[in-house]
Amino acid sequence: MAGFLRALGRLFGGSTPEPASPAELEALRAAYRERCESFRRLLAANNAALDIMASMEEALRGLKPFGMTFVRGQCARVAANVFQIVRQLSLLTHGRYDALFDRLKEIQARIAPHLAPRAGQVRGPLVLPLEQTGVDLADEVGGKVASLGEVARRLGRRIPPGFAVTASGYQRFMAAADLQPEIDRRIQAADASRLDQVFALSSALRTLILAAPLPQDLEQAILAAYRDLEARTHPGVRVALRSSAVGEDALGASFAGQYHTELNVPAEEVLGTYKEIVASKYGVTAMTYRLTRGIPDEDVAMCVGCMAMVGAKAGGVAYSRDPLDIRAGRVVINSVAGLPKAVVDGSFDPDVFVVERGEPLRLARAEIVAKPRKYVCDPAQGIELVDAPEDEAVLPSLSEAQALEVAALAVALEDFYGLPQDLEFALALDGGLVLLQSRPLHRSEAAQAAAQDGPAGPDVLASGGAAASPGVGCGPVFAVRKDADALRFPEGAVLVAAQAHPRWAPLLSRAAAVVCEAGSTAGHLANVAREYGVPALLGVAGALEKLAQAGEVTVDADNRRVHAGRVEALLENRPAPRNLMEGSPVHAALAAACEHIVPLHLVDPDAPEFAPGHCATLHDITRFCHEMSVREMYLAGGEGLEGFSKQLTSGKSRLKYWVIDLEDGFTGPVAGRFVDIGQIASGPMLALWRGMVAVPWAGPPAADAKGFLSIVAGAASNPELDPTMATTFAVKNYFMISKDFCNLQSRFGFHFCTVEAQAGDDPQENYVSFQFKGGAADLMRRVRRARLVAELLEERGFRVEVREDALFARLEGLDRKDTLDRVAVLGYVVIHTRQLDMAMANDGLIASLRDKMDKDLDGLSAAG
Amino acid sequence: MHILLVDDETEFLDLMTKRLDRRNFQVSTAANGVDALKVLETTPVDVVVLDVRMPGMDGIETLRRIKALTPATEVILLTGHANMEVALEGMNLGAFDYLLKPVAINDLIFKIQDAAKKSGKTT
Repeated sequence: MAGFLRALGRLFGGSTPEPASPAELEALRAAYRERCESFRRLLAANNAALDIMASMEEALRGLKPFGMTFVRGQCARVAANVFQIVRQLSLLTHGRYDALFDRLKEIQARIAPHLAPRAGQVRGPLVLPLEQTGVDLADEVGGKVASLGEVARRLGRRIPPGFAVTASGYQRFMAAADLQPEIDRRIQAADASRLDQVFALSSALRTLILAAPLPQDLEQAILAAYRDLEARTHPGVRVALRSSAVGEDALGASFAGQYHTELNVPAEEVLGTYKEIVASKYGVTAMTYRLTRGIPDEDVAMCVGCMAMVGAKAGGVAYSRDPLDIRAGRVVINSVAGLPKAVVDGSFDPDVFVVERGEPLRLARAEIVAKPRKYVCDPAQGIELVDAPEDEAVLPSLSEAQALEVAALAVALEDFYGLPQDLEFALALDGGLVLLQSRPLHRSEAAQAAAQDGPAGPDVLASGGAAASPGVGCGPVFAVRKDADALRFPEGAVLVAAQAHPRWAPLLSRAAAVVCEAGSTAGHLANVAREYGVPALLGVAGALEKLAQAGEVTVDADNRRVHAGRVEALLENRPAPRNLMEGSPVHAALAAACEHIVPLHLVDPDAPEFAPGHCATLHDITRFCHEMSVREMYLAGGEGLEGFSKQLTSGKSRLKYWVIDLEDGFTGPVAGRFVDIGQIASGPMLALWRGMVAVPWAGPPAADAKGFLSIVAGAASNPELDPTMATTFAVKNYFMISKDFCNLQSRFGFHFCTVEAQAGDDPQENYVSFQFKGGAADLMRRVRRARLVAELLEERGFRVEVREDALFARLEGLDRKDTLDRVAVLGYVVIHTRQLDMAMANDGLIASLRDKMDKDLDGLSAAG
Repeated sequence: MHILLVDDETEFLDLMTKRLDRRNFQVSTAANGVDALKVLETTPVDVVVLDVRMPGMDGIETLRRIKALTPATEVILLTGHANMEVALEGMNLGAFDYLLKPVAINDLIFKIQDAAKKSGKTT
């Protein structure tokens, strides 16, 4: 090693007189090139790792939904990049810091438990009779079936006879076909933020499940249970199959109808229908729901309740409390003639009965509407929508006595569970009341006392209907008439549709408000709107026609009005959007993993704690390796490698820039410790330099008093930012160059940035990348600066991502000249955004700065 | 430059072959680890792009054998099954890098070019 170092010294400006042989020289050059490659790879992995960490931090704030595939993916990617960093540092330092490999492994072991699926393998029976289930078996049969079983077992209420295919049955099915890994893979490959991809993914996953064969033992168990049900009822009994998922009630979320229910199924279809219900776990609504609520996909086992079909005279949904005013003592019943399906899917307006609590219960109000159609069991199979006889259509679907009986059941269930309930019921052909399902009612904050006395406002476009979910929302109208419209639904728009159809539920996570012409506040869409906190107004006559072309509107669900434009006065008191991810299992998993990834403890490179043994997180390792690699490459280290880098001069001035020549970045051999800008042959470096010096820097813009204070506060809370503590490396800027390549690492004032560019003959290989982060002002100002820079760069063809105060920009595929022009732009940006963050409180100032920068940049490309 | 793509998803192989062809790479494919090793025994390959989860011999075992057979061949792991432990195991066995599907074709090409540089091939 000593010989190698002496030779290196000779090669790079040392003073030993004896000349090296050509073979020796070539070997040295190769070794040198390899070190440079290592350093470059380390920097690339360093930037990638920081980028991933920033995305994880951003996700933690919970503004956008993410699933376990995101958490696992980011953890795997960040670990691979940190490994790369450690590996390259090991090559650079001949293994001096190899203890880091063990640190990395230890950190990984601490993260791993948070990423593992939570659902344990259950090994119970594959099917269970309904009467034997209860809430103690909720993990085996799902919440829906469990509570139904409980009601029958403990309250003796009538439920349809039947059985449940259990979570064990579900897992048996998934394991036999080895489905879960394939499902995970496909979810990872899809972009969950694009609705068209979610629809395609949903369809692919359902096809996958339907194509998978049922294992023999499960098939036998289901058929045996069906024969047993026949024995208890009658041969050939039709059944209803309903989903009953395990693992989704973790948040107290009650989310109706997101899965498939199949009614009136004949014997020979039971097995196929079972698979369909299982496949409905991957319906668009259900997947979107899990994603938005942070429920891990693999934690959800799909159990299926299979019960004898109740041919209903009438049916519907009852709430033991008014969902819009939970404190009032009213029971609200929505019912129709025939099967209750019409109420659940909002296909037409139901009768509404309001019953006051008390001894005895009292019918306070009955709103009977014409119901020209109804759902009935088709004699062959399934159900059909038929016209109701004219005289029957106007009759109440329930008599007063029946409404009171339903209300009594709702009150009894609430008393039993100690929570307001949402139940689906049917009146059997024999007139008896049958409970079909019961679940906790999703609470919504009571609508504020409506300010109906105030003026209606100048531009009321539509009014009336029922507030299905309270609040005020504003956005551009987007009319949804068919599925294809749904695919194009933009973030933040107001959903306007004819019917409150469950099909539109996946759109609610991105909607600002909902207005429908028809639909009941008891329907599925209304439930979802309340759960997501999206204001919804249903039953607004002519809404589509009145609003479709309205542009931006403000929906005031509390006062049942839709205003033209943005009405700030109404929006002011609006509650902040909820962080739906907060408190969810997925959010918790990410937070726990991030604990071992994101925090940075190694802030002072001169402190004794700046050592591998003190690296507690992946960020620590990243920081440590970066610092050590820079020392190794640019500074006289323990190995005596001086001469690797040269200080840049311009005429007689020594600049605070150091340059490493990777290969052919200088015009010729350069001896000594300095290199003049005139000796640089690297195209990208010269272009960068051109941008940096094109317009003299006027010094930091005047900071307002608050801006200055925020810097002081920022510096005090972060020792890295305190200029008096700056280490020798803090003020240096490092270039690494070859003829067609340039990498600049720099720390200007309080912000760190990297520019990298390749500009050669082949446009396919050319690229420019830029990232920066940091600053001394508070986060709000730094974020604004990042946005300002992002706009400038986007206008010049860069792809830009801003995450909090960090910015990542990239561009590729341009020819040499265009690439160099963009590099010059970055040179300008690097210099002129110095400490801009301080001035970022004032909108007027931002605009004028932007104008100046725009002009400067245009001048730059004209000059180039 | 010669690239070997190993993946049990034929759709993926077809798509990638087409795209890499267009960039003037020479592309061979294999649907599993055993076939990949057979290709490597007869054909000099600069960079292998290897799926991690495949029926039969998995990607990690395939990587181990590739590194034993032709240590100079660089291997990029590209997987649809993100797993931190597997990522580190693969890197530790000498994988050039670990990428997740879906990957932007440009990012993959940059990675392949970088890996080729390391294996000594520059064009």
